Amino acid sequence: MREVFHLSGLVQRYNGLTVLRVDELKIARAAILGLVGPNGSGKSSLLRILALIEPPAEGKVVFDGRPADFDSARDRRRVSLLLQDPYLLQRKVFDNVAYGPQVRGEKERLKERVAGALELVGLEPARFAHRSWRELSGGEAQRVALAARLVLRPEVLLLDEPTASVDAASAVLIKEAALAAVRGWGTTLVIASHDLAWLEEVADETIHLFEGRPVPGGLNNLLLGPWETDEKGRTGLRLADGQVILVPGQRGRAEPAVVDPARISVSLERPAAEPGLNLLQGLVTRLGLSLEGGRVTVTVSVGGLKLTAALDRRQVEALGLLPGREVWLGFAWADMTWLGQEPSPDQGGEVEVEKRAIRP
Amino acid sequence: MGGSLDYIWDGLITAVGLLVRLDPETFSAVAATVKVSSMSMGLSLIIGLPLGFALAQTRFPGRRAARTTVDTLLSLPTVVIGLLAYTFISRRGPLGGLELLFTLQGVALAQTFLALPIVISLTAAAVEGQDRRLRQTLLTLGASARQTARSTLWEARFAVLAAALAAYGRVVSEVGISMMVGGNIKWHTRTITTAIALETGKGEFGMGIALGVVLMIWAGILNLLLAWLKKRSEP
Amino acid sequence: MSRSRALLICLALALTLALISTPALADPVLKMASTTSTANTGLLDYLADLFKKDTGVELQFVAVGTGKALALGANCDVDVLLVHAPAAEKKYVDEGNGVDRREVMYNDFVIIGPPEDPAGIKGLKVTEALAAVAGKKAPFASRGDNSGTDKMEKSLWKAAKMDVPEKESWYVQTGQGMIKTINVATEKKGYTLTDRGTFIKFADTHKGNPPLKILVEGDEVLFNQYSVIRVNPDKCKQVKTDLALKFADWIVSEATQAKIGEFKLLGQKLFIPNAKK
Repeated sequence: MREVFHLSGLVQRYNGLTVLRVDELKIARAAILGLVGPNGSGKSSLLRILALIEPPAEGKVVFDGRPADFDSARDRRRVSLLLQDPYLLQRKVFDNVAYGPQVRGEKERLKERVAGALELVGLEPARFAHRSWRELSGGEAQRVALAARLVLRPEVLLLDEPTASVDAASAVLIKEAALAAVRGWGTTLVIASHDLAWLEEVADETIHLFEGRPVPGGLNNLLLGPWETDEKGRTGLRLADGQVILVPGQRGRAEPAVVDPARISVSLERPAAEPGLNLLQGLVTRLGLSLEGGRVTVTVSVGGLKLTAALDRRQVEALGLLPGREVWLGFAWADMTWLGQEPSPDQGGEVEVEKRAIRP
Repeated sequence: MGGSLDYIWDGLITAVGLLVRLDPETFSAVAATVKVSSMSMGLSLIIGLPLGFALAQTRFPGRRAARTTVDTLLSLPTVVIGLLAYTFISRRGPLGGLELLFTLQGVALAQTFLALPIVISLTAAAVEGQDRRLRQTLLTLGASARQTARSTLWEARFAVLAAALAAYGRVVSEVGISMMVGGNIKWHTRTITTAIALETGKGEFGMGIALGVVLMIWAGILNLLLAWLKKRSEP
Repeated sequence: MSRSRALLICLALALTLALISTPALADPVLKMASTTSTANTGLLDYLADLFKKDTGVELQFVAVGTGKALALGANCDVDVLLVHAPAAEKKYVDEGNGVDRREVMYNDFVIIGPPEDPAGIKGLKVTEALAAVAGKKAPFASRGDNSGTDKMEKSLWKAAKMDVPEKESWYVQTGQGMIKTINVATEKKGYTLTDRGTFIKFADTHKGNPPLKILVEGDEVLFNQYSVIRVNPDKCKQVKTDLALKFADWIVSEATQAKIGEFKLLGQKLFIPNAKK
């Protein structure tokens, strides 16, 4: 089965600022890919590149086995993006949904197609088709926008926070409609969302983005500092209950780091101390199921901080883990990934030029 | 005091008489204005709308210079445009062979240069004022470049129409171009504004006032339209 | 997009309608440049009607200042001129811009001013009157627009052995038409030189009791000679020489000359035909 997307060496910049850097990304056909990350993490930029409406500053985008054509509408018409905030054209609901087919010159059975798409998102055509764009609530507008994309049966459907600005009922309908597309037409789905529970439930794979870069292992255990150095030269993060997470070397005060959940050990007894190993005591607060690898996620509250470990089901049974249980967590310095900015390669070059100028 | 108000009153009475009797000279001037303004507006819209869109949305070298040029042309006095037009279409000028001098077509062509900067500048502003999401939405729904341009202008239709009305108001009330290029020839190139200038120069305030009344009513209707459009364009 | 297509069709219709409705005229058209003062008398409309009846040719005239009228001829934008500035006309023909200059008729200029006549010019000869105005520094409104009237006025100052008092504060150049200049003179309770025709109209708008009265008239130097000049066909290839010739012959013909003599402005005769027999 060919991939529908293969991105390599992708870089996106706005006004000279790098907002996205993805070395390699492959998306399989009919897969459901989740994108997670805080605002400004580059999710929307990535979606716009995948939608073929904004070319990247650098890198290759291969769509369905061929280099993607950003200039004409040819490839663009096979992919559709639903924007974060509900946005409709200033016309009636029917005309909004019919716009996509109309620009493609598709006139047959238009009324039926529009009605079908509206029903998919739970809007009764007889009641809604002739409403003006002004007369819709936020949730209804977003559903109309989704209908406008679904009517096209796109090969790839990209959803940017589809349930963020809508009411609960609309959120449910939107989620169902998106999944119906996958089941019914084999649509590849890429969903950016804060609804981690939903993504855990439906996504085949989830990518975590932080400041434009994918973070392996995810952002579940994001440590944002403050990192302090004591008189003895040790750097660490002091937790509310007095425990300290130590890290090697010097760190910026707010430098972010993540700990891979798969690399956190959970035990009932305090493990043996080792250099470079952090041992923390805490209370189990949640158990969850992750579709990825069928593992169980164990969330532990440690001095006010929530850390999540991913364990095999049998391990969890063997330890008898339940919410409220006191446990010991352990992770090595090597299992921490630092997310701070790398030094710019240009700086080295600049210095060299200056030196050359001074020479007689 | 009575003396100076008398001739205004006389003028008004003559005016009403002319309008009610559908005086041919008066209405010939009105017809000339309608013809010439329709021509110049039609031309400036056909050229100006796509140019305004392009100025707002396409990136090309010298874009900022183009914008500044258009904005400067906005304040060109009509007599300057009329003079320039005359030098071009006079028999002695480069376009003399087209025999456009003293014709309504010639006036319409010159007036296009008056209306064009207004249409381009205001259309560009209308398009720029559009939400960024509009372009993204149109593209992702599959619109080609040309379809995107058309749909963007349609989404901004009220602002674009307001731009057209602003240009129209300017064109309908100008004298400099009509005088220089049209020559104010009776029955042919005598428009409302040149007729007013001529008649008041002759001391015939009656017809001047009659024509002025027609122009004011027309301007009033346009302004009402503009106000209604402004209200409609607000979400 | 049936809506935007409909809009485009409307626009195209408006354009074609406008273009069509100014059809290629069946009647031949003769373009003439004359002056605003001539047009304001109504004589040109009168002549145009007669000319159309006699020859079937439509006379379209543009009324501007004499300077502009001559320029239009020099630029080949009109076919024939009817102006009243003999000195400029002779130069014009010498320079090859016009041919076949024929005298047609004359009317006269008058100097008008307030009844109180602060400079005391009533009944004086022109040169004396101007000297009096300058001496008393009485307000004097001038066309200042290079028109026939303006040229006449400047020649009168010269005849009175004075420089044109352009920089004097009492001398006001309006740069506008005759009626407007008279209005300025009225505002300032001053004097001005005007053709009799415009004054007749002015008096009429004031119901026979104008604020300014004729104070100086009849002096020969005030006679205003009108001539018809054809635009030089050698210089201007597109000029309608045959029509221009037809007009020139027609306007000096006995019948037309008689009609010119009969022309009345508001009940008063204005022009005296004097074409050479």
